[in-house]
Amino acid sequence: MTTAPHTRSAVPPVAVPAPASRPAAPLLDVRGLTISYGTGRGTLRAVSDVGFSILPGEVMGLVGESGSGKSTVAMAVLDLLGEGGRVESGEILFRGTDLRRLAPAERRALRGDSIAAVFQDPFTSLNPALTVGRQIAEPLIRHKRLTPRQAAVRVEELLGEVGIRDPRRVAAAYPHELSGGMQQRALIATALGCEPGLLILDEPTTALDVTVEARIIDLLAKLCDSHHLSALFVSHNLGIVNRICQSVTVLYGGVVVETGPTGRVLSRPAHPYTKGLIAALPRITAERRARLPSIPGTVAKLSGPPAACVFAPRCPFAEETCRSHPQEMRAEGDGTGVRCWKADALATTSWPDEGGTAPRRGALPARSAPLVEVEHLRKIYGASTSILPWLRRAGTVAVDDVSFTIDRGEVLGVVGESGSGKSTIGRALLALTEPSAGTVLFDGADFPQQVRRGDQTLRRRAQLVFQNSAASLNPRKTVGQAMERPLVLAGRGDAEERRRTVAGLLTRVGLPAAYADRYPHELSGGERQRVNIARALATDPEFVVCDEAVSALDVSVQANILNLLAGLRDEMGLSYLFITHDIAVVAHIADRVLVVYGGTICEEGPVGRVLRPPYHPYTEALLSAVPRLAEDGSEPPRILLEDSALPPGGRGGCAFAGRCPRKLGAVCDEQAPPVRETDQGHRIACHIPLATLAERAPVFPKLAGGDAAAR
Amino acid sequence: MTAASPAPRRLSSRRSALPVSLVVGLVLLAPLLVAAFAGSWIAPYPYDEMNIMSRLQPPGPEFWFGTDEFGRDVFSRTLVGTGSSLLMGVAATALSLMAGVPLGLIAGYKGGRAGEAIMRAMDVLMSFPPILLGILVLAVTPPAQWKAIVAIGIVYVPQVVRLARAITLELMQEEFITAARLRGESAAYILFHEILPNIWPPLAVEASLRVVFAILLGASLSFIGMGAQPPSSDWGLMIAEARPFVEQAPWIALCPGFALAIAVIGINLLGDGLRALLDPRNTGSH
Amino acid sequence: MLAYTLTRLLYLALVLVVMSVLIFLVTQAMPGDVASMIAGQFASPEVVQAISVKLGLDQPLIVQYGRWAAGILHGDLGRSLVLEQPIAPILMEALARSLVLAVVALTVVAVAGIGLGVLAAVRRGKLTDQMVSGISYLGIAVPDFFWAIVLVLVFGSYMKLLPTGGYTPVAEGVLPWAAHLVLPVVTLVLMLLARIARLTRSSMIDVLQTNYVKFARAKGMPESVVILRHALKNALLPTITVLAIDFGLILGGVVVIETIFSYPGMGRLLLFAIQRHDLPLIQATILVVSAAYCLANLVADLLYAFVNPKIRHGMRTA
Repeated sequence: MTTAPHTRSAVPPVAVPAPASRPAAPLLDVRGLTISYGTGRGTLRAVSDVGFSILPGEVMGLVGESGSGKSTVAMAVLDLLGEGGRVESGEILFRGTDLRRLAPAERRALRGDSIAAVFQDPFTSLNPALTVGRQIAEPLIRHKRLTPRQAAVRVEELLGEVGIRDPRRVAAAYPHELSGGMQQRALIATALGCEPGLLILDEPTTALDVTVEARIIDLLAKLCDSHHLSALFVSHNLGIVNRICQSVTVLYGGVVVETGPTGRVLSRPAHPYTKGLIAALPRITAERRARLPSIPGTVAKLSGPPAACVFAPRCPFAEETCRSHPQEMRAEGDGTGVRCWKADALATTSWPDEGGTAPRRGALPARSAPLVEVEHLRKIYGASTSILPWLRRAGTVAVDDVSFTIDRGEVLGVVGESGSGKSTIGRALLALTEPSAGTVLFDGADFPQQVRRGDQTLRRRAQLVFQNSAASLNPRKTVGQAMERPLVLAGRGDAEERRRTVAGLLTRVGLPAAYADRYPHELSGGERQRVNIARALATDPEFVVCDEAVSALDVSVQANILNLLAGLRDEMGLSYLFITHDIAVVAHIADRVLVVYGGTICEEGPVGRVLRPPYHPYTEALLSAVPRLAEDGSEPPRILLEDSALPPGGRGGCAFAGRCPRKLGAVCDEQAPPVRETDQGHRIACHIPLATLAERAPVFPKLAGGDAAAR
Repeated sequence: MTAASPAPRRLSSRRSALPVSLVVGLVLLAPLLVAAFAGSWIAPYPYDEMNIMSRLQPPGPEFWFGTDEFGRDVFSRTLVGTGSSLLMGVAATALSLMAGVPLGLIAGYKGGRAGEAIMRAMDVLMSFPPILLGILVLAVTPPAQWKAIVAIGIVYVPQVVRLARAITLELMQEEFITAARLRGESAAYILFHEILPNIWPPLAVEASLRVVFAILLGASLSFIGMGAQPPSSDWGLMIAEARPFVEQAPWIALCPGFALAIAVIGINLLGDGLRALLDPRNTGSH
Repeated sequence: MLAYTLTRLLYLALVLVVMSVLIFLVTQAMPGDVASMIAGQFASPEVVQAISVKLGLDQPLIVQYGRWAAGILHGDLGRSLVLEQPIAPILMEALARSLVLAVVALTVVAVAGIGLGVLAAVRRGKLTDQMVSGISYLGIAVPDFFWAIVLVLVFGSYMKLLPTGGYTPVAEGVLPWAAHLVLPVVTLVLMLLARIARLTRSSMIDVLQTNYVKFARAKGMPESVVILRHALKNALLPTITVLAIDFGLILGGVVVIETIFSYPGMGRLLLFAIQRHDLPLIQATILVVSAAYCLANLVADLLYAFVNPKIRHGMRTA
């Protein structure tokens, strides 16, 4: 094995026999790319000496967590770095030409023509003041010199090609009239218009719901294949990368740490960071662990060229050499490269695992009355009874007749996509929103009613951990002040005693006690989330609602927080209502799960049961949309859902009927589905008979055995 | 900053670089503030001392900025007028803040009928053009400066209410307010300890701009005879009195005009500087 | 859109009713008594009393208000005490002159202000931007009457290029009519330009940082298209609102500027009425001025809704 020549590309041209049909000259070849941002506090090195190449027809994934510099690289290829961003050195060769040597006008002529892009958030990427058709037509008129009339014809063709059924209507629509999935299809149509050679896809599905994401990814994969497109696919989601990319480049702290064919990198990661990243991912199929393997610490920011291995401070295998010498890229056969001198020695070593397995619990034996009882909960937003007839509104049904219970010490997961009403359920449970109908009992007491009467004592026993760790802390209060307040309200101890309690709580969530004097903006996202948890625990609650509590965090941090929450449950006997869109997270942490759609419960039961047939059609679709790694088994035939249908709820029928691939007919639209129990508290609300539902093949045949059984 | 760095960073580090506009604004305003408080002591002549012998004197060594039609020293009158003109702006703004902030907080926090009623009343107030509202209030009784201050104060109440309400509504969506409700805080605590500390930075910026509008509106009212009354010295009034003589003696109008300009530019820069200083995006260490 | 417009119109009517009551009450509280003003200084109390009865001034306030309001609804604004003429024609004439001032001044302000604002935003932080900012400061730093005096001094008294005040109808020649407009218009422009330029600049800067502008660039659109088609269309929304409100303000009379330039618009009429304690004229003028202002506000909101497809459609379906 040889060390890569440092002066040239970080990934040397590998001596792999090229496919005989065409030369292996890369379409895009990035070499030694270094980018820095000028900020108020000096320059920040966003990307250091990054190199990779993409062959014609190849989709390459550029993965990394926030701050890894992956989007910066993509923007540099497009020459859209934005204010303060500067390419310090390096080459960006496109079809052999260094883009950096071209005049701005020449680069502009390439953009949208030979190199097209799709960005993360489809809604903000479309101009609200122009029709969708006009926006798609723009590059056609500009680059291909079509007349507006020719362009309009082509726009409809393109919209048809990206799977939009009524192209004419969509072309005439304004962006806000389309669903997120349709908007993203429109962006893809825009990118395809001029038949580009290279697509830059910057987290193209991150803002979308899982079922929509699956369809968009399938579409992209199909298009790349049929148009022989190359793509630079920027993503933080390893499962998505596994689904669409042939090769992958892993970035950490602005440095390429590993590159190679997707299958090899994801199944046999060579760099410790890649190992950790894959290990930390909660997975449905993997044996359920008591704790997720996690990567300690946070990403360090560079201001100059790295003086040591960028990952060394967080690496469990690091030695003195790692901390004193910058690592060089070591190339192997088949296009693989690793920036770690210990890679060979670690070839068979996996990331350290902190805890043993934890079989999934079935239904707990009913020891006593449940802690939380929700009956026929209903919440309608925006209803108005104005005297002006045209201002009257029926309102939107967010939650429609939902009933469930949570036992003491139980973790109940609530899984659903946007608009499913899952957050509203959580808020209603904590008496933060007044139910339109139904009751919420906490330990036998009517919680909302008590709060209405001004009795806040139950609040000490039921708490919330938010999704947005930054917004949930008052920016003008120190961590200590924020945490002390619940104690003051509860009348616990004097100032000195409270200070000690705060210190104890901080220690409990794994933060130094000195953090009490810090302001929220001085902490990282993961640290803030720990503070949020510590604050929620201040009054020794029995019940905590976690509303997307780990969704905004990077995978490595997410694993840390999930472990913390699991540990607290074990130590303190907490009950959680765990609200999330990520079914893998629920599979990891929850005992029981509710699958919600359009404000109603489709399916509920012990996690092990819900993950196996019989499935509610929505659960099945949701599971089949979950991106998975190679070792999770081959992908099942995907259950494809329409991007969106009418706003669900409150029409008498099944909320899912509008999108259901297995819809029986009018009965689904008109009658509320019957709730049928299979066993062990596993219930499905569907018109399709259980026996028919049970005929489906399992989406995850390799589920770890024995975990469905009650303990 | 990594998780391991031990010493908590103090706020002092972010206060080190004051925005340039703030510094320039303060430098411009400093002499005006001195004049406002000590104008009559530093003025070379009493502001109302008439001297028929030296009417309409051009600027010179004796009268730095000339004299007016009664032979009064323009510079002295401008100096003494500083207090009156700035007072108009500051007092009127203070008045509108005192009335507007609580109303806005209530409207934003409570919502419902009370909030609706407040906002509708403000809409009616806003339906009058500002200067008209001033005139309407002032036309009822003989003009006086304090009435002008009250009138200007009332004129700007709706704007303050709207801003305070808008920020409150925005803050109400913030999760840390939910967190406060979640631990059972009283409405008063949430309003005064959670919302108010976050509302004052934008209000301070707004207030600085309001002072400018109030000074200009006050000068306009004085100019049409509905603010400060002769023989007191007020910049707006001075310019009004100078108008008939503007061809023979333009300096009478120029001196208070420049003073006004310095005040307005100074306060504007101060506001811009405050905005930059208080912008949370500039305070973080990320 | 229709439902929205209907609601707003209904609301406007309500505000106007409330306002007319307010105006009526406030003017009642003003010093001076209509009957004695009509009777003259030397009339006996009996004569004053007789006039009072004849005009219905001895009746309860509510009845007086009812008659006044009913008259307005029939287009009868009453008679001016001082001018001894029906008010409606006088008001219409003044309103027309204010309208001319508003249209001319705002056209200039819109074109120049938006242009400067866009220029400053595109060249943010560069010399052009700083120059526009500097000019903006000049505009807002000094009150309009000060600019007016300076302009009168320079162009009227010293250079003798333009008339310093007054008004001649178009019928007496377009040139003299236009010449009389120049100085008031320039003063107004100086006063309003800065705000429009700064507003356009700041919303333009916001829009230029949006994803859709970035995406337009990623499509390879040239900067001119990015700025004019993608950015400006969205950035103009707040500017349009402010322009419409300014229009209402000028229409309702810019008291100070009209006074300085002896321009016989709404502002001067109002000041005249107040100074002469002509109660019916005060009431009518204030009502019309406020109505004009409210109407301009309504137009501003409707325009905003119309230009913004998101709101336009939301209202159609709602």
